[in-house]
Amino acid sequence: MADPTPTTATTPDADPHGIRKDLDKPAQLVVVFLAVLGLALVNIFGSQAMGPGKFALPFQLAIGSIQATLVGYHFMHLKQGDKVVILTALSSLFWMGILFVLFLGDYMTRHLLIG
Amino acid sequence: MSAKHNTPALKHHFEDLGQQHACERLGIWMFLATEILFFGGIFGAYTVYRLWYPHEFEVASSHLNRTIATINTMFLITSSLTMTLAIRAAKLGNRGELIRWLFATAALATAFMVMKGFEYAEDFHEHYVPGKLFNDELAAAQAEIVGKTEAEAKAHQFKPERQKWAKELAVQTQHKGVDSNKVQLFLCFYYIMTAIHGIHIIVGIGCILWLVWEAWRGALPPESYSTVEAVSLYWHLVDAIWLFLMPLLYLAGAGYKH
Repeated sequence: MADPTPTTATTPDADPHGIRKDLDKPAQLVVVFLAVLGLALVNIFGSQAMGPGKFALPFQLAIGSIQATLVGYHFMHLKQGDKVVILTALSSLFWMGILFVLFLGDYMTRHLLIG
Repeated sequence: MSAKHNTPALKHHFEDLGQQHACERLGIWMFLATEILFFGGIFGAYTVYRLWYPHEFEVASSHLNRTIATINTMFLITSSLTMTLAIRAAKLGNRGELIRWLFATAALATAFMVMKGFEYAEDFHEHYVPGKLFNDELAAAQAEIVGKTEAEAKAHQFKPERQKWAKELAVQTQHKGVDSNKVQLFLCFYYIMTAIHGIHIIVGIGCILWLVWEAWRGALPPESYSTVEAVSLYWHLVDAIWLFLMPLLYLAGAGYKH
């Protein structure tokens, strides 16, 4: 049975469904964008200056992780996400961690086998 | 029946729009989790070989075009901003702005693919592709410096048709113990990883253009902003994956001294 109560917004500012509750601030988005962009440049020119070595990969991946966190938290709206969404995002990283531990534990220790 | 049911955007099996949007968000995040695991497997394979053959991976990476990769990184990061601004416009019900931001995102993504096309074309032109092209190019350069010492090989004037990478790699394979097969292994990772990422970009462009069409015909009212958000979540993941592909592929050999 159709509901006789009209719920359509009657004024331009009405927000009956709370859609504009968590509206992004453009200035904040631009700051995050500049931060991610700046980190990319630090990564590229820092790697060029540093050259290959044992610290290069951790340095590069640390910056990549910070960038991905900024993108996830601000652009993918994890900052306003439901607990179940945050849990899903973290679970995927956890499963990937298991993936890495298991096969790196195999491949990186094969040379240790004796007999 | 709840008064909240009175909006065309609400699917019949949801109580209200809040519940519907939460379910849509969770659904796309579940999909993203599978994508993260998919790329995780590829990153894992790369990690094993990078740890086994670090020198060859650095040598191979040093011949990639970092200028194009840097420009492409700028394109993708900027497209993440424009996509997020599109969600904002969708929430505000500003159709013109929504279409503009979506078009900007699609244009940046297309620019990324065009640059990637130039890069692949350059690699093929230089025969920097695993297989026969690579082996023939390298063998020709190696044949010119057979029997020379390292100093003589470095000072050798190669024929002008020899590619720069082949000249440097010929010296390294003959005097520094670099295994050309492992260099080709890196190139296999480079082509597979960038191609899979490129396919994701093309899918993303398709989804964004579909959103443009939907917005154009007025099918994306503020109540349906979560459709834009679903595509944007996918798009940001594609961007985030590039933020790791860039250092793993292009920066592995940054600053390498030949």
